[in-house]
Amino acid sequence: MSKIFTIAKKELAQYFKSPAAYIILIISCAVFNVFFYMIINENREATLREVFQLMEFMFIFIVPLLTMRVFSEEKMNGTLEFLLTTPTTVWFIVLGKYLGAILFYFVMISVSLVYYLILARFGAPDAAEFISGIIGIMLEGALFISIGLLASSLTRHQIIAAIITYVVLFFLYFCLSFTQYTAGTLESVFRHMSTLSHMENFSQGLIRLSDFVYYFSGISICLWLTHIRLTRE
Amino acid sequence: MIEAINVSKSFNGVTVLDKVNFSVEKGEIVGFLGCNGAGKTTLMRILTTYLKPTVGCAKIAGYDVNKSPGHIKRIIGYLPENPPLYENMNVFDYLRFCAELKDVERKNVLPSIDRVLAECNLREVKSRNIGILSKGYKQRVGIAQAIIHQPQLLILDEPTNGLDPIQVEQVRSLIKSLEDRTTVILSTHILSEIEQLAKRVLIIKKGKIITDNSMDELLRSASSQGKPSLEKVFIQANQDNE
Repeated sequence: MSKIFTIAKKELAQYFKSPAAYIILIISCAVFNVFFYMIINENREATLREVFQLMEFMFIFIVPLLTMRVFSEEKMNGTLEFLLTTPTTVWFIVLGKYLGAILFYFVMISVSLVYYLILARFGAPDAAEFISGIIGIMLEGALFISIGLLASSLTRHQIIAAIITYVVLFFLYFCLSFTQYTAGTLESVFRHMSTLSHMENFSQGLIRLSDFVYYFSGISICLWLTHIRLTRE
Repeated sequence: MIEAINVSKSFNGVTVLDKVNFSVEKGEIVGFLGCNGAGKTTLMRILTTYLKPTVGCAKIAGYDVNKSPGHIKRIIGYLPENPPLYENMNVFDYLRFCAELKDVERKNVLPSIDRVLAECNLREVKSRNIGILSKGYKQRVGIAQAIIHQPQLLILDEPTNGLDPIQVEQVRSLIKSLEDRTTVILSTHILSEIEQLAKRVLIIKKGKIITDNSMDELLRSASSQGKPSLEKVFIQANQDNE
C-alpha cells in the first residue's frame, strides 16, 4: 500500500519539476479568475454554479495535457519496464499514478475555495451548494484523469494519448446535444453518458446516488482497462 | 539459482527463443553472447518476469516465473539495455524511490543508498539531476538501482554500452566485486568483457543456445588454433551452426 504513495509522491514531484505544469496552473488560474469576475459581475448572485460549469468545460482542454505523459513517457524512456520488474503490483502502479495526477488536479481546483471566501465576504453563498459543486468537479476531474491515464497507457506517443483523451472527453461532454436527434433507448443512453447532465446536478446542489454511480463506474472501468493494458505490456 | 526448461518465446508467430535449456549455480557470473536479434534480451526479460515464455518455464531460486513473479522480483536486480532513469529527478531521490519500490525496509533505506553511492562512486553527484549527468554516471546510477536491495540475482543487459575505457573498467570492477554475494547474468557485445568477468559463457544464435561451456574450457579448445580468444570461439560457434 505504501508503494501507491511512493509512486504518487514521485508523480506529483514530476509535475512540479516541469515548467509545463506551472504554465497550466497559471493559465487555468488566470482564466478561472477572469470568468469568476465576469460571471459574478453579470449575475450579481452569490453562487459558483456557473463557475463550476465553466471549470468543467475548461478541464476538457486541461486534463489531457496533464495525463498524456503519465504512461507514454514511461514507455518511451523504458522506465515502465523498470517499474514492472520491481516487486510492485500493476494495480499499485496504476493507483499511484492516478493518485499523483488527482492530487495535482486538486491543487488546480483549490482556487475555487478562494472564490467561495470572496463570495462569503460580500454576500451569503449557499455552503451546501458549494460543497456539492466541489464534489461534482472533483468527481468530474477524477473521471477525466482516469480516461487520460487509459489513453496514455495505449501509446508511447504523448500527442496521440492527448488526442485520444480529447476525442473521448469531447464526446462525453457534447453527447447530450445528440439527444435532440435521437429517441427512446439511444436518447436515454446519450443522456446518461453525458458528463454535462451529471455535473449540472452537482453544481445546482443536487447530490444523487445515480451521479455517484456514473462517476465511480466510469473511473473503475478506465482504471481496470489501464491495468489490463499494462499487464499485457 | 536459475533453471530454464524448454523456454520458447514467439512474437506474432515469429520464434525468438526456441526451447532454451540451461541452469546457473549460485554465485556464478554467466555471460550471454550473441549477435543482434539473437534473443539475449528476450531471455533476460523472461528471467525478470517482464515477459512470459510462450512455452516452457524458468525457475529462479525455485520460484517459477509464470507462477510466482512477485517473489522473483524481490530477489532480482535488473539493468535493461537503456538505464531506466527519471531525468528530472536527482540521484539521491531516484535511489530512494527505487529502494522504496524494492521493499527495502524503511530503516535501511538511507544506509542502502549510502552503500550504493559508495560502491558506484556516485557520492559527488548525488544531488545532481540525472538528466545532466554523463553517460558513464547514468550507467552507474542504473547499476546502483539494480543492486540497492542486495539482490540474489543480478541481470545486466549491456552494462558497459557506450562507456569510455575508464568507465568500462570501473563498471567491470564493480561487477567483479559483487561476485561473492550475487549471481550475475550479463549480456554484452564486448567479448573481452565477458572474457574478464564471466566464468561461463552461453552463446545464443537465432533463439537457440549453441554453446554452453566454462570460459576455461572454451579458451582451451580455441588454443589448439593459435592464440586463444573468445572472439575465435564466438565466430567459430556461429559458423558451425550456419
